Amino acid sequence: MTAEPASRTTSRFRPTGSTGAPHSGGRRPPGASPRPRSFLRRLRDQFGIYLFLLPAVAYLCVFTVYALIRGVMLSVTATRLVNPDGGRYVGAENFQYLIASDPFWHSVVTTLLYTGFTVIAVVLLGTAAAVALDARFFGRSVVRAIATIPWAIPTIAASLIFAWIYNDQQGILGQGTRALGLGQPGWLTDPDWGLFSVTVATVWKAFPLAMLVMLAALQSVPHELKEAAWIDGATRWQTFRAVTLPHLAPTIRVLTLLMTIWSIRRFEIIYVMTGGGPIDATNTLVVSIYNTAFADQHLGRAAAIGVLALGLSLTVTMIYFVVERRRERKGES
Amino acid sequence: MTATTPTRMRPTGAHAISAGRTLGRILAIGLLVVFAGFPVYWMINTSLSTNADLYGTGQTFLLDLTNVTGWWPMIEGVPLLLWLRNSAVIASGTALLSLFLALSAAYALSRFRFYGRGIVGFLFFSTQMLPEALIIVPLYALFAGYGLLNNHGGLILANVAFVMPVAVFILKGAIDKVPHEIEEAARIDGCSRGRILLSIVLPLVLPSIAAAAIIVFFDGWNEFLFANTFISNADLWPATVGLSSFLGEFFTPMNQVMLCAMLFALPAIAFFLWAQRGIVAGLTSGSVKG
Repeated sequence: MTAEPASRTTSRFRPTGSTGAPHSGGRRPPGASPRPRSFLRRLRDQFGIYLFLLPAVAYLCVFTVYALIRGVMLSVTATRLVNPDGGRYVGAENFQYLIASDPFWHSVVTTLLYTGFTVIAVVLLGTAAAVALDARFFGRSVVRAIATIPWAIPTIAASLIFAWIYNDQQGILGQGTRALGLGQPGWLTDPDWGLFSVTVATVWKAFPLAMLVMLAALQSVPHELKEAAWIDGATRWQTFRAVTLPHLAPTIRVLTLLMTIWSIRRFEIIYVMTGGGPIDATNTLVVSIYNTAFADQHLGRAAAIGVLALGLSLTVTMIYFVVERRRERKGES
Repeated sequence: MTATTPTRMRPTGAHAISAGRTLGRILAIGLLVVFAGFPVYWMINTSLSTNADLYGTGQTFLLDLTNVTGWWPMIEGVPLLLWLRNSAVIASGTALLSLFLALSAAYALSRFRFYGRGIVGFLFFSTQMLPEALIIVPLYALFAGYGLLNNHGGLILANVAFVMPVAVFILKGAIDKVPHEIEEAARIDGCSRGRILLSIVLPLVLPSIAAAAIIVFFDGWNEFLFANTFISNADLWPATVGLSSFLGEFFTPMNQVMLCAMLFALPAIAFFLWAQRGIVAGLTSGSVKG
């Protein structure tokens, strides 16, 4: 057995894969057939390498792997917050309870809606802003700085600002819509509007990172190709579709994956603005884990929600890598 | 009006289209600036409003700079400086421990092929999927047993688990770009891998280390969930928890809240704008390849 399977696994998690490139080899030139060596010999040779990894890996083993295992174990117990170590084993009871409960399914739908809208809006707005700010114009650096600030602002500050803008009595947004004769919904107090308001705040906070990443990616689009399209009489939109977009596609896909994963687990901006309310309107899975654990004090049930939320993230990631692999194969053949 | 955009290749009549397009673009960029900038402007505006403005006559749309005199009494009214100090301690600890752990791991992932490389890579990546809210329940139980609740050290330990992998991605991306040949000579001279990392690779990736340090520091600075759960003693609160307490049961005037939020956000904004290019380069080379 050679190290080949391991490295192939790695390349799956690094979309444009650096495996096979000269800099990732080190031990032997890529493509050369490995000298037959015994497993133990190789392991001994590699001992020094493992020493480099040991601190970080051991750390993660304690604080995420072990904690995750404990979390999964908690999910099959009836543990309460007052006695976190003394939960009775109840098998799949927590999961059965959740599957039969309407608030849980409401929470799943809320998570999907929140994630879907956030990701679509962030990727579209981020890409559009990047394209707009890639062109040269007077004052571009100032505009770029302003558009970057939401990314730099701590989430807690963003949550406080939006809570104030959305405020029912003195909030500027309600005053504005009232002055325009549009009426004033309770942005954070009306269950029909809560999720929308929280999503807008999230998009505000998250789109600049997408914009910056897309701006960086735009630099890799060869100028000659764009010019060639120009000369052939393509319109701007056609040039964008045919030349720019294909170059951005891999970045857009990775960005979509990361934004999705981050949205599924995003907690703070929602929790600080609404705490999951009004009437559960913004109670995403992650917020409901927290409320179940620390308000309802059901640690076991909270862990069960967490396991299901993690399953959702894993599913999304798996879909991404399956699609990416299929695409890679298509590109190769 | 002649448009400044390249129109030489356009057929006749393109001028009108071009002017319309320029106008459209100005409008789009204007909307972008308002969307991105207004909440920040409103934070500043609110901090410069008096209580009478906010809760009586109504907040004025323009900044009233004469109200700057109200800032100091508002700062003195809350333990903001204590909170900021706690945040700085937590963030520094998070940054130091993360970079220490990340550097050698990034080097190993970048330079060596070994059994389990895929698993290790996945371990680092998977922390980006893990909901903190799931981990927090068992961590709470674990920390309670070791006296790590109400303890900045415990908070740092929890933060590092989630931000250190990000530092690994960034540093791995940077080390990938360091040419191999530079290390070959040292290896022939009999340098150990540790020496090579510290005396040859480290100086070459210093800019990326700085970018990673900023990201990791402000992850610690901004962290809320663990702090809110593990720290119940108000004297140990970082600013995130302190600020969120303003929305709780006690009434705090919004100008004071916004002033504190602004002072808390200021270092983050300054560093992120200053080091933006390096940070984005780090993030893109590590996790998002352009």
